[in-house]
Amino acid sequence: MHPILQSWRRFGIWMAAWIPLGAILVLVAHLSGRLTVLESLAVMTPAIVVMAFVCLSPFYVCRSLPLRSAPREKILINHLTAALILTGGVMLVGRFAASLLTPSFERLDQRFGSAVPVLAVVVLMIYIVAVALHYAALELEASRRAEIYAREAQLKALKAQVNPHFLFNSLNSISALTTIDAGQAREMCVRLADFLRTSLRLGERVTVSFAEEMALMKMYLDVEQVRFGGRLRLKQEIAPACSDCDVPALLIQPLVENAVKHGIAMMAEGGEIVLSGQRDHDWLRFSISNPYDPEAPSTGRNGLGLRNIRDRLESRYGASARMDIKVEERLYSVMLTLPMRKR
Amino acid sequence: MSIRVIMADDEELARRVLREHLNTQPDIEIVAECSNGFEAVKAVNELRPDLVFLDVQMPKLDGFEVIELIDSDAAVVFVTAYDQYAMRAFDAAAVDYLLKPYSADRFRASLERVRTRLREAEPVRSVPKDLKLASRAPGDHVERIVVKDGPKVHVIPAGKLDYAEAQDDYVALRSEGRAWLKQQTISSLESALDPRRFIRLHRSYLVNVERIARIDANTKDTWLAVLTDGTKVPVSRGGYNRFREIVGGE
Repeated sequence: MHPILQSWRRFGIWMAAWIPLGAILVLVAHLSGRLTVLESLAVMTPAIVVMAFVCLSPFYVCRSLPLRSAPREKILINHLTAALILTGGVMLVGRFAASLLTPSFERLDQRFGSAVPVLAVVVLMIYIVAVALHYAALELEASRRAEIYAREAQLKALKAQVNPHFLFNSLNSISALTTIDAGQAREMCVRLADFLRTSLRLGERVTVSFAEEMALMKMYLDVEQVRFGGRLRLKQEIAPACSDCDVPALLIQPLVENAVKHGIAMMAEGGEIVLSGQRDHDWLRFSISNPYDPEAPSTGRNGLGLRNIRDRLESRYGASARMDIKVEERLYSVMLTLPMRKR
Repeated sequence: MSIRVIMADDEELARRVLREHLNTQPDIEIVAECSNGFEAVKAVNELRPDLVFLDVQMPKLDGFEVIELIDSDAAVVFVTAYDQYAMRAFDAAAVDYLLKPYSADRFRASLERVRTRLREAEPVRSVPKDLKLASRAPGDHVERIVVKDGPKVHVIPAGKLDYAEAQDDYVALRSEGRAWLKQQTISSLESALDPRRFIRLHRSYLVNVERIARIDANTKDTWLAVLTDGTKVPVSRGGYNRFREIVGGE
């Protein structure tokens, strides 16, 4: 339902707005049709009430034809057609009222007829203004929602910072190492601490440099390396030109966690994670790929992290950043394209 | 008499810490170490251990699928970093559920439970196999079915299962032109699969919705479902009603 019709208060305000608008229409009919003000008021009142409702109808058309995505000509044709039909309708209501009142006012229908052309133009214009207002309101609503979304996404990202299972598994590795190789156990503690400290520090910021994000990723993989040993292999092709690009903090981190959790950890023989970062004019292109076993048991809750990333990209860059996911037979890749913004 | 143990965990370090704890016990003999689900099923079925330590998330088969496929009465202890599987583990008749990392005390307590269980001499599998297969949270459906194929394991993704037919204590699973027999009742299979994708068209038939080409009237109270590959499956009145409910017929 139309938001204005959802509460009596809003409906009252809307109808009140039609008092001055109605006055304009009455005046136009009076001036252009040789009607007295009283006659004009009598003829126009039903038409004005009808118009008050008709001008709510663009809501549905505007919603189904968003300015950003719908084709221009389609928007134009749809609204113009609706405007013409509805103007015709309103004029018919006026005509009908005039013919009903003719017995009381002499030759009222004829005199009203002469007012029709000018009146029709004014009605048409009011309708077009209503369309514009609806678009403005929808746009406002969308930007408000994007803001809420961004805040939620940020909150989720913060919560997702350190996956508890990663911690538990790392602690279990340390517990194994204490008797096997005390030196390596200590080294693992240091790596884990480095990762935790850095991820907390970066998580406090909105954006970080690409180099910082990559460094964090490396710390994470250093820890996982101890757990997976030779099963986890890494190949990096990061161009130095990307280093100072501004990226949302911890945007990429969940992608590496996915690559390990759903890829490497589910392969008996392990595999190679390939990271690549390139600068292409004003764009930063990052990709991460990992082999996966299409027949592996389900690891659950996939896709939540990816949606989170997509939301964050959209709230920050709008349509100018993208994430593409390519699933080949045994290779899973995620590609990010972000506008290159220097810090 | 010593307790023969098999452990399955894909992480070398996790196996080492387990081995170290086990080595402190004089009555324990480790007969195999496995690094994925396939190996675990094979080793357990061949070596018939008394006790199995199972990780949940492993390559090839997860810990629950391993339990489905082993036909021994071995006691099972799950060892995992995830606490959300505990309920399911006990439903599947696990003796204990160890959370990584665990202490030496906690480990000894777990072994004590195992010893008590083994001394009681009654099979650990007092839980019917069917209950075990159905052990999962409501709304949580299996995406694949694991079947034993001789010494090997065959995995049928849910989307590739055409239909299942009850045959005494077994179900015959039809997939990609082949039939696989699994010891399971059709009802427990039905409850494991997503009810929006699989309909019980008949007491003995569970059919993949996507494979149904049409349903023809047969006699007054029975129908015949014709599948996309031409197979005909009998449909009961109840099955017909369930079909209409899911497909949203008139």
